[in-house]
Amino acid sequence: MPTQRDNNWFFSSKGEKRGYIQPQLLHELWFHTGTSCNLRCPFCLEGSKPGDDRLQFLTLEDAKTFIDEAVEMGVEKFSFTGGEPFVNPHFISILDYALNLKPCLLLTNATEPLMNQFAQIIPLNDKPYPLNFRVSLDHPDPQKHDESRGKGNFKKALDTLGRLHREGFGVSIARHMLDGEDSTAVDKAYAPYFRQAGVPLDITIIKFPEFHTPGSLPNVPEITESCMTSYLTEAQRNGFMCHYSKMIVKEKGECGVYACTLVDDDDDYNLGRTLKEAMTERVMLKHHRCYSCFAYGASCSEGPCNTDGEEGQISA
Amino acid sequence: MQNLIVHDVIAQTEQLFELQLDRANVAFEPGNCLALFNNNEESRPYSIASGTDDELLRFLIRRVPEGPVSQWLTERKPGDMVQVSEPFGWFQPGRSESEEQSVFIATGTGIAPFLSYLRTMPQQPPQACFYGVSLAAEAFALDELKALPNFQLAVSRETANGDFHGRVTGLMEQLPLESNIHYYLCGLDEMIDEVSGWLEQKNIDYTHIHREVFFYADAT
Repeated sequence: MPTQRDNNWFFSSKGEKRGYIQPQLLHELWFHTGTSCNLRCPFCLEGSKPGDDRLQFLTLEDAKTFIDEAVEMGVEKFSFTGGEPFVNPHFISILDYALNLKPCLLLTNATEPLMNQFAQIIPLNDKPYPLNFRVSLDHPDPQKHDESRGKGNFKKALDTLGRLHREGFGVSIARHMLDGEDSTAVDKAYAPYFRQAGVPLDITIIKFPEFHTPGSLPNVPEITESCMTSYLTEAQRNGFMCHYSKMIVKEKGECGVYACTLVDDDDDYNLGRTLKEAMTERVMLKHHRCYSCFAYGASCSEGPCNTDGEEGQISA
Repeated sequence: MQNLIVHDVIAQTEQLFELQLDRANVAFEPGNCLALFNNNEESRPYSIASGTDDELLRFLIRRVPEGPVSQWLTERKPGDMVQVSEPFGWFQPGRSESEEQSVFIATGTGIAPFLSYLRTMPQQPPQACFYGVSLAAEAFALDELKALPNFQLAVSRETANGDFHGRVTGLMEQLPLESNIHYYLCGLDEMIDEVSGWLEQKNIDYTHIHREVFFYADAT
């Protein structure tokens, strides 16, 4: 955990008290499997690329400690993000362990690292708890998707989405949210591709706004204490991910508990070495990505914790 | 991350070269890559072509016009340092159950992970190894490869002595097709798409087809 936080943690640039979230029950625990990825997307909020080790591969031993602690604390699900999780050589063994205990969700680009391990993935469907895959299909336009992710990767991801569904796994997709978009129309534009893949037309579509690359400092409004009470209801405040979830990150050989999935580039959000310790820490909303949660209700989750608006989806 | 000493840079053609680095303590498996960095902190992944007990780390590299990393690497001299990542990878040729067989199909520098396997496990050769290049001079390690029991070189842009003239996909009908074979495809995206589609049409199980795209047809 950070030894000292300066005034910037507590006060805005204008000296006002920052808005904050006081975590409550741990509903969902996220694991960052490492920033290594087979792709090199220019928009990646993690700055992931092949061989990247800003955040290191989580091992089964690393994960077990937190999985067991989370179960003791009443966690309801485990979720995994990267990088590309299937690049982590320990990932399938981590899933194998976690699926004995709780439902799991994983985020994937659904290309070669997953495709090449399909034989090892299929048996995970026989575990006591279900596994859901959220596949990135950035735009309902293969060419636009492939501009950032590489030629042919929309087709691979769509094909893999269909194969996962046919094997009986739960599937959803994540897409980019564009400024001023007609969200309903964009969602509907996926229908022909879902038909092609053989997946139901009403699968969940999670929309993500621009999060910017790690360490960037875009100019966004600061969130003060009064913003949190003037503009948000209690239910909306409870919908912030840092209210009900945490993320495990491995950095420089040590695991830490971060406030959520979006702030792992700022040590101030490393809340401790144990979940119990981290859940007592008040989370100040100083990160530029906190504004996405404030303004759009951004959430990486698909669970029942967003009590206002469409569950787990970003609605402006 | 660590820095490794350049042992040698050996030109294969004007566009292709083999980079050799002193291995230091790098432990890897056949099919693993390292990200190699230039002096501007830019990196690209390159598959290791060495056997797991070799003293050198060998990489087969295509110099990409305006490619900041391959261009920089080709200018290295023995004794220079190159920053590398830890080994990583999702393509593991030959790593199947002991009773199962392998077939390797590569184009260009996509032969690298297969050379790593062959140099590590010479006692367990694949059932077949097909290798496609544009020009015969672009084929790496031909002496080693031609010693394999079922190796074929496909040369697409010239007629070469005794080798197949055409794209490697022209050899597909000669592929052994059995349910206990795993097919490992590495190199050009078009080759991988075509061969994997053909294998599925021949009722080869999807989980027996393993892919690693090194480069795209419209970028070469």
